[in-house]
Amino acid sequence: MDTLSFKLKSDMSELDTLLGHLNTFSAQIGLTRKCFCQINLALEELFTNIVSYGQDNQTHPVKVDITYDEGVITIRIEDRGIAFDPIKAKKPDTKCSLKDRQIGGLGIHLIKNLMDEINYQRKNNKNILTIKKRIEDLNCC
Amino acid sequence: MEIIEENQDNVKIFKLHGRLDSNTSPDFEKKVFDAIENGSKSMIVDFGELDYISSAGLRVILKATKDLKRVDGEFILCAMKDYVKEVFEISGFDSFLPIDNSLDEAINRF
Repeated sequence: MDTLSFKLKSDMSELDTLLGHLNTFSAQIGLTRKCFCQINLALEELFTNIVSYGQDNQTHPVKVDITYDEGVITIRIEDRGIAFDPIKAKKPDTKCSLKDRQIGGLGIHLIKNLMDEINYQRKNNKNILTIKKRIEDLNCC
Repeated sequence: MEIIEENQDNVKIFKLHGRLDSNTSPDFEKKVFDAIENGSKSMIVDFGELDYISSAGLRVILKATKDLKRVDGEFILCAMKDYVKEVFEISGFDSFLPIDNSLDEAINRF
């Protein structure tokens, strides 16, 4: 089992730190470019959600754990910001005309399509998001 | 991210290199909207060297598409890598935006 854990400040400037950690993890297990991008997207969308909507007056660190075990990548993101369940966000209408197309709401829609599972829990005043991505073969996704 | 701007006849071409994410999208947004403000109506975005895009990048593309539509302009995207294309398809942007396989194909539309 491969695990990588790190903490980020709740600030957009930490996106590069996040990318650095993901690069390390990716090199450790040998992710394909495409799979790396899909996981990067899930992490970026959830992290920017926390920074944009999840903060009260104080800033709270965001704790990230990434695990690869028996063909499954699990990402757990925990923060002590205000309760915020991004999964409940309204699904964007992806079939409507350009005129009616709204800007926004795409992040969670993309995660739901690119990952196999996403769960939210509010526990002990913490938001805990867990995502799973099954990778049968590291070279196939 | 590196953005190379080229002008071919009346067509403005943006060549994106690297990553279009929450940190780099504002720079791309500024360049695109400066061009629209300066009268550009025909635009191509070449994704050939773009490795990664997130919803922040999609937001700029959608906003620019709507703005160009309003002035009867045209916005063409081309040369997407697998992952980038997948993101556009899941978002449904391929239903209202022309996505060509190569820059040459995109230029030939004008």
